[in-house]
Amino acid sequence: MNPHIDQALEILKSGDPQAFEQALETLQSAVYSFGMKFCGNREDAEDTAQETLLRLARQLKDFPDARALAVWLYKVAKTQCLMSRRKSKFAPAQMLSLDALMPHPEATGHTGVQSWEITPEEIVLQQEIRDKLEKAVLALPKHYRLVLILRDMEQLDTREVAEVMGISEKTTKMRLHRARVYVRNALAKYLHRAPASTEASRG
Amino acid sequence: MADRRCKHLFAALSKYLDGELRAKDCRLLEEHLKGCKPCVAYLESLKTTVQACQKYRVSNPPRPSKEVRAALLAALRKR
Repeated sequence: MNPHIDQALEILKSGDPQAFEQALETLQSAVYSFGMKFCGNREDAEDTAQETLLRLARQLKDFPDARALAVWLYKVAKTQCLMSRRKSKFAPAQMLSLDALMPHPEATGHTGVQSWEITPEEIVLQQEIRDKLEKAVLALPKHYRLVLILRDMEQLDTREVAEVMGISEKTTKMRLHRARVYVRNALAKYLHRAPASTEASRG
Repeated sequence: MADRRCKHLFAALSKYLDGELRAKDCRLLEEHLKGCKPCVAYLESLKTTVQACQKYRVSNPPRPSKEVRAALLAALRKR
Protein backbone atom coordinates (compact mmCIF):
# COMPACT_ATOMS: atom_id res chain seq x y z
CA MET A 1 0.00 0.00 0.00
CA ASN A 2 1.06 3.58 -0.60
CA PRO A 3 2.79 4.55 2.71
CA HIS A 4 2.06 8.24 2.14
CA ILE A 5 -1.69 7.55 2.37
CA ASP A 6 -1.13 5.87 5.74
CA GLN A 7 0.76 8.93 6.92
CA ALA A 8 -1.88 11.32 5.58
CA LEU A 9 -4.69 9.51 7.39
CA GLU A 10 -2.77 9.63 10.68
CA ILE A 11 -2.31 13.39 10.25
CA LEU A 12 -5.97 13.94 9.44
CA LYS A 13 -7.03 11.85 12.45
CA SER A 14 -4.68 13.77 14.74
CA GLY A 15 -6.40 17.02 13.79
CA ASP A 16 -3.05 18.82 13.77
CA PRO A 17 -3.67 22.00 11.74
CA GLN A 18 0.07 22.47 11.13
CA ALA A 19 0.28 19.14 9.33
CA PHE A 20 -3.05 19.45 7.49
CA GLU A 21 -1.53 21.01 4.35
CA GLN A 22 1.01 18.21 4.11
CA ALA A 23 -1.68 15.53 4.39
CA LEU A 24 -3.86 17.28 1.84
CA GLU A 25 -1.03 17.58 -0.66
CA THR A 26 -0.11 13.93 -0.17
CA LEU A 27 -3.65 12.81 -0.97
CA GLN A 28 -3.92 15.24 -3.89
CA SER A 29 -0.65 13.96 -5.31
CA ALA A 30 -1.65 10.31 -4.97
CA VAL A 31 -5.01 10.71 -6.69
CA TYR A 32 -3.76 13.14 -9.36
CA SER A 33 -0.86 10.82 -10.24
CA PHE A 34 -3.22 7.88 -10.57
CA GLY A 35 -5.44 9.98 -12.85
CA MET A 36 -2.51 11.03 -15.03
CA LYS A 37 -1.35 7.46 -15.46
CA PHE A 38 -4.83 6.24 -16.40
CA CYS A 39 -6.20 9.19 -18.40
CA GLY A 40 -2.96 10.60 -19.82
CA ASN A 41 -3.99 14.25 -19.58
CA ARG A 42 -3.90 16.92 -16.88
CA GLU A 43 -7.52 18.01 -17.22
CA ASP A 44 -8.98 14.60 -16.43
CA ALA A 45 -6.37 13.97 -13.74
CA GLU A 46 -7.30 17.28 -12.07
CA ASP A 47 -11.01 16.49 -12.30
CA THR A 48 -10.32 13.06 -10.79
CA ALA A 49 -8.40 14.55 -7.86
CA GLN A 50 -10.98 17.27 -7.26
CA GLU A 51 -14.04 14.98 -7.29
CA THR A 52 -12.36 12.22 -5.28
CA LEU A 53 -11.17 14.56 -2.52
CA LEU A 54 -14.53 16.34 -2.30
CA ARG A 55 -16.16 12.95 -1.77
CA LEU A 56 -13.52 12.15 0.82
CA ALA A 57 -14.50 15.27 2.75
CA ARG A 58 -18.07 13.98 2.93
CA GLN A 59 -17.03 10.53 4.18
CA LEU A 60 -13.92 11.21 6.20
CA LYS A 61 -15.23 9.73 9.41
CA ASP A 62 -15.88 6.31 7.86
CA PHE A 63 -12.33 5.01 7.54
CA PRO A 64 -11.03 2.70 10.27
CA ASP A 65 -7.52 2.45 8.84
CA ALA A 66 -5.26 3.57 6.00
CA ARG A 67 -5.84 0.41 3.99
CA ALA A 68 -9.59 1.06 3.91
CA LEU A 69 -8.93 4.67 2.92
CA ALA A 70 -6.53 3.67 0.12
CA VAL A 71 -8.95 1.11 -1.34
CA TRP A 72 -11.81 3.64 -1.15
CA LEU A 73 -9.72 6.44 -2.72
CA TYR A 74 -8.64 4.30 -5.66
CA LYS A 75 -12.16 2.95 -6.15
CA VAL A 76 -13.59 6.45 -6.38
CA ALA A 77 -10.70 7.68 -8.53
CA LYS A 78 -11.14 4.69 -10.85
CA THR A 79 -14.83 5.48 -11.30
CA GLN A 80 -14.02 9.12 -12.00
CA CYS A 81 -11.40 8.14 -14.57
CA LEU A 82 -13.77 5.74 -16.32
CA MET A 83 -16.28 8.59 -16.63
CA SER A 84 -13.68 11.02 -17.93
CA ARG A 85 -14.73 13.18 -20.82
CA ARG A 86 -11.55 12.82 -22.83
CA LYS A 87 -11.15 9.20 -23.84
CA SER A 88 -7.63 7.97 -24.54
CA LYS A 89 -6.91 8.04 -28.23
CA PHE A 90 -4.69 5.01 -27.80
CA ALA A 91 -6.80 2.56 -25.88
CA PRO A 92 -8.67 -0.24 -27.60
CA ALA A 93 -11.50 -1.94 -25.72
CA GLN A 94 -10.62 -5.54 -26.49
CA MET A 95 -9.23 -8.37 -24.42
CA LEU A 96 -5.55 -9.29 -24.50
CA SER A 97 -4.75 -12.82 -25.61
CA LEU A 98 -1.70 -14.32 -23.94
CA ASP A 99 -1.01 -16.45 -27.00
CA ALA A 100 -0.93 -13.35 -29.20
CA LEU A 101 1.38 -11.57 -26.75
CA MET A 102 3.91 -14.40 -26.54
CA PRO A 103 6.96 -14.00 -28.80
CA HIS A 104 6.93 -16.35 -31.79
CA PRO A 105 10.37 -16.83 -33.38
CA GLU A 106 8.92 -18.32 -36.54
CA ALA A 107 6.96 -15.14 -37.17
CA THR A 108 9.58 -12.55 -36.25
CA GLY A 109 12.82 -14.28 -37.12
CA HIS A 110 14.12 -13.72 -33.60
CA THR A 111 13.05 -14.39 -30.04
CA GLY A 112 12.27 -10.80 -29.23
CA VAL A 113 14.45 -10.97 -26.13
CA GLN A 114 18.02 -10.68 -27.33
CA SER A 115 18.32 -6.92 -27.68
CA TRP A 116 17.08 -6.00 -24.18
CA GLU A 117 20.22 -4.25 -23.06
CA ILE A 118 18.96 -1.38 -20.98
CA THR A 119 19.17 -1.58 -17.19
CA PRO A 120 16.36 -0.71 -14.76
CA GLU A 121 18.33 2.36 -13.66
CA GLU A 122 18.69 3.62 -17.20
CA ILE A 123 15.11 3.06 -18.18
CA VAL A 124 13.74 5.66 -15.78
CA LEU A 125 16.32 8.25 -16.80
CA GLN A 126 15.41 8.45 -20.45
CA GLN A 127 12.58 10.70 -21.48
CA GLU A 128 11.97 8.75 -24.66
CA ILE A 129 11.57 5.53 -22.68
CA ARG A 130 9.22 7.34 -20.28
CA ASP A 131 7.15 8.51 -23.22
CA LYS A 132 7.04 5.00 -24.64
CA LEU A 133 6.05 3.57 -21.25
CA GLU A 134 3.25 6.13 -20.90
CA LYS A 135 1.98 5.35 -24.39
CA ALA A 136 2.14 1.61 -23.82
CA VAL A 137 0.17 1.92 -20.58
CA LEU A 138 -2.40 4.19 -22.24
CA ALA A 139 -2.72 1.72 -25.13
CA LEU A 140 -3.78 -1.07 -22.77
CA PRO A 141 -7.49 -1.91 -22.65
CA LYS A 142 -8.81 -0.01 -19.63
CA HIS A 143 -9.33 -2.94 -17.24
CA TYR A 144 -5.80 -4.21 -17.86
CA ARG A 145 -4.44 -0.67 -17.55
CA LEU A 146 -6.11 -0.19 -14.18
CA VAL A 147 -4.69 -3.42 -12.78
CA LEU A 148 -1.15 -2.60 -13.97
CA ILE A 149 -1.28 0.95 -12.58
CA LEU A 150 -2.68 -0.13 -9.22
CA ARG A 151 -0.30 -3.07 -8.76
CA ASP A 152 2.98 -1.95 -10.34
CA MET A 153 2.81 1.84 -10.18
CA GLU A 154 0.70 2.51 -7.07
CA GLN A 155 2.09 -0.67 -5.49
CA LEU A 156 -1.10 -2.01 -3.95
CA ASP A 157 -1.01 -5.73 -3.22
CA THR A 158 -3.02 -8.26 -5.23
CA ARG A 159 -5.85 -8.40 -2.69
CA GLU A 160 -6.20 -4.62 -2.60
CA VAL A 161 -6.20 -4.38 -6.40
CA ALA A 162 -8.88 -7.08 -6.60
CA GLU A 163 -10.96 -5.15 -4.07
CA VAL A 164 -10.61 -1.85 -5.92
CA MET A 165 -11.50 -3.54 -9.21
CA GLY A 166 -14.31 -5.71 -7.82
CA ILE A 167 -12.78 -8.85 -9.36
CA SER A 168 -11.19 -12.05 -8.03
CA GLU A 169 -7.50 -12.28 -7.19
CA LYS A 170 -7.14 -14.92 -9.92
CA THR A 171 -8.50 -12.53 -12.56
CA THR A 172 -6.33 -9.76 -11.16
CA LYS A 173 -3.20 -11.86 -11.62
CA MET A 174 -4.20 -12.92 -15.12
CA ARG A 175 -4.83 -9.32 -16.21
CA LEU A 176 -1.64 -8.12 -14.55
CA HIS A 177 0.52 -10.63 -16.39
CA ARG A 178 -0.99 -9.84 -19.77
CA ALA A 179 -0.66 -6.11 -19.16
CA ARG A 180 2.99 -6.48 -18.15
CA VAL A 181 3.76 -8.59 -21.21
CA TYR A 182 2.02 -6.05 -23.46
CA VAL A 183 4.05 -3.17 -22.00
CA ARG A 184 7.26 -5.19 -22.09
CA ASN A 185 6.72 -5.99 -25.75
CA ALA A 186 5.99 -2.34 -26.55
CA LEU A 187 9.18 -1.24 -24.83
CA ALA A 188 11.27 -4.02 -26.38
CA LYS A 189 10.48 -2.88 -29.91
CA TYR A 190 11.41 0.65 -29.01
CA LEU A 191 14.65 -0.40 -27.32
CA HIS A 192 15.96 -1.82 -30.60
CA ARG A 193 16.61 1.72 -31.72
CA ALA A 194 16.31 3.91 -28.61
CA PRO A 195 19.12 6.42 -28.23
CA ALA A 196 20.25 7.53 -24.76
CA SER A 197 18.62 10.75 -23.67
CA THR A 198 18.60 13.14 -20.73
CA GLU A 199 16.44 12.88 -17.63
CA ALA A 200 13.10 14.62 -17.70
CA SER A 201 9.69 14.07 -16.28
CA ARG A 202 6.11 14.53 -17.22
CA GLY A 203 4.26 17.55 -15.91
CA MET B 1 10.29 -19.43 -26.62
CA ALA B 2 8.14 -21.53 -28.85
CA ASP B 3 7.88 -25.03 -27.46
CA ARG B 4 4.85 -26.19 -25.49
CA ARG B 5 6.69 -26.22 -22.19
CA CYS B 6 7.69 -22.54 -22.67
CA LYS B 7 4.09 -21.58 -23.46
CA HIS B 8 2.87 -23.20 -20.27
CA LEU B 9 5.52 -21.51 -18.14
CA PHE B 10 5.16 -18.16 -19.91
CA ALA B 11 1.79 -17.68 -18.21
CA ALA B 12 3.40 -18.09 -14.80
CA LEU B 13 6.24 -15.56 -15.11
CA SER B 14 4.50 -12.68 -13.31
CA LYS B 15 3.47 -14.89 -10.41
CA TYR B 16 7.09 -16.03 -10.19
CA LEU B 17 8.37 -12.44 -10.12
CA ASP B 18 5.82 -11.55 -7.44
CA GLY B 19 6.66 -14.58 -5.30
CA GLU B 20 3.11 -15.87 -5.75
CA LEU B 21 3.92 -19.14 -7.51
CA ARG B 22 3.31 -22.38 -5.61
CA ALA B 23 6.48 -24.15 -4.49
CA LYS B 24 6.02 -27.05 -6.89
CA ASP B 25 5.44 -24.78 -9.92
CA CYS B 26 8.33 -22.60 -8.81
CA ARG B 27 10.70 -25.59 -8.87
CA LEU B 28 9.42 -26.60 -12.32
CA LEU B 29 9.96 -23.12 -13.68
CA GLU B 30 13.45 -22.83 -12.21
CA GLU B 31 14.36 -26.23 -13.67
CA HIS B 32 13.21 -25.04 -17.08
CA LEU B 33 15.08 -21.74 -16.80
CA LYS B 34 18.36 -23.59 -16.26
CA GLY B 35 18.22 -24.84 -19.84
CA CYS B 36 16.27 -22.15 -21.71
CA LYS B 37 18.15 -18.93 -22.44
CA PRO B 38 15.25 -17.23 -24.30
CA CYS B 39 12.98 -17.75 -21.28
CA VAL B 40 15.67 -16.38 -18.93
CA ALA B 41 16.11 -13.32 -21.14
CA TYR B 42 12.36 -12.80 -21.37
CA LEU B 43 11.98 -13.10 -17.61
CA GLU B 44 14.70 -10.50 -17.09
CA SER B 45 13.07 -8.12 -19.54
CA LEU B 46 9.71 -8.57 -17.81
CA LYS B 47 11.36 -7.84 -14.47
CA THR B 48 12.93 -4.68 -15.90
CA THR B 49 9.53 -3.58 -17.19
CA VAL B 50 7.96 -4.03 -13.74
CA GLN B 51 10.83 -2.09 -12.15
CA ALA B 52 10.38 0.72 -14.68
CA CYS B 53 6.68 0.90 -13.77
CA GLN B 54 7.53 0.94 -10.06
CA LYS B 55 9.97 3.82 -10.56
CA TYR B 56 7.69 5.86 -12.79
CA ARG B 57 6.60 9.11 -11.16
CA VAL B 58 4.23 11.83 -12.29
CA SER B 59 5.82 15.17 -11.56
CA ASN B 60 4.39 18.54 -10.61
CA PRO B 61 0.94 17.64 -9.32
CA PRO B 62 -1.13 20.81 -8.95
CA ARG B 63 -1.94 22.12 -5.50
CA PRO B 64 -5.35 21.14 -4.10
CA SER B 65 -8.09 23.62 -4.98
CA LYS B 66 -9.51 26.05 -2.42
CA GLU B 67 -12.81 24.17 -2.59
CA VAL B 68 -11.18 20.88 -1.65
CA ARG B 69 -9.16 22.48 1.15
CA ALA B 70 -12.25 24.17 2.61
CA ALA B 71 -14.35 20.98 2.38
CA LEU B 72 -11.75 18.84 4.15
CA LEU B 73 -11.14 21.44 6.84
CA ALA B 74 -14.88 21.65 7.48
CA ALA B 75 -15.11 17.86 7.66
CA LEU B 76 -12.27 17.72 10.18
CA ARG B 77 -13.88 20.36 12.39
CA LYS B 78 -17.10 18.31 12.55
CA ARG B 79 -15.28 15.21 13.84
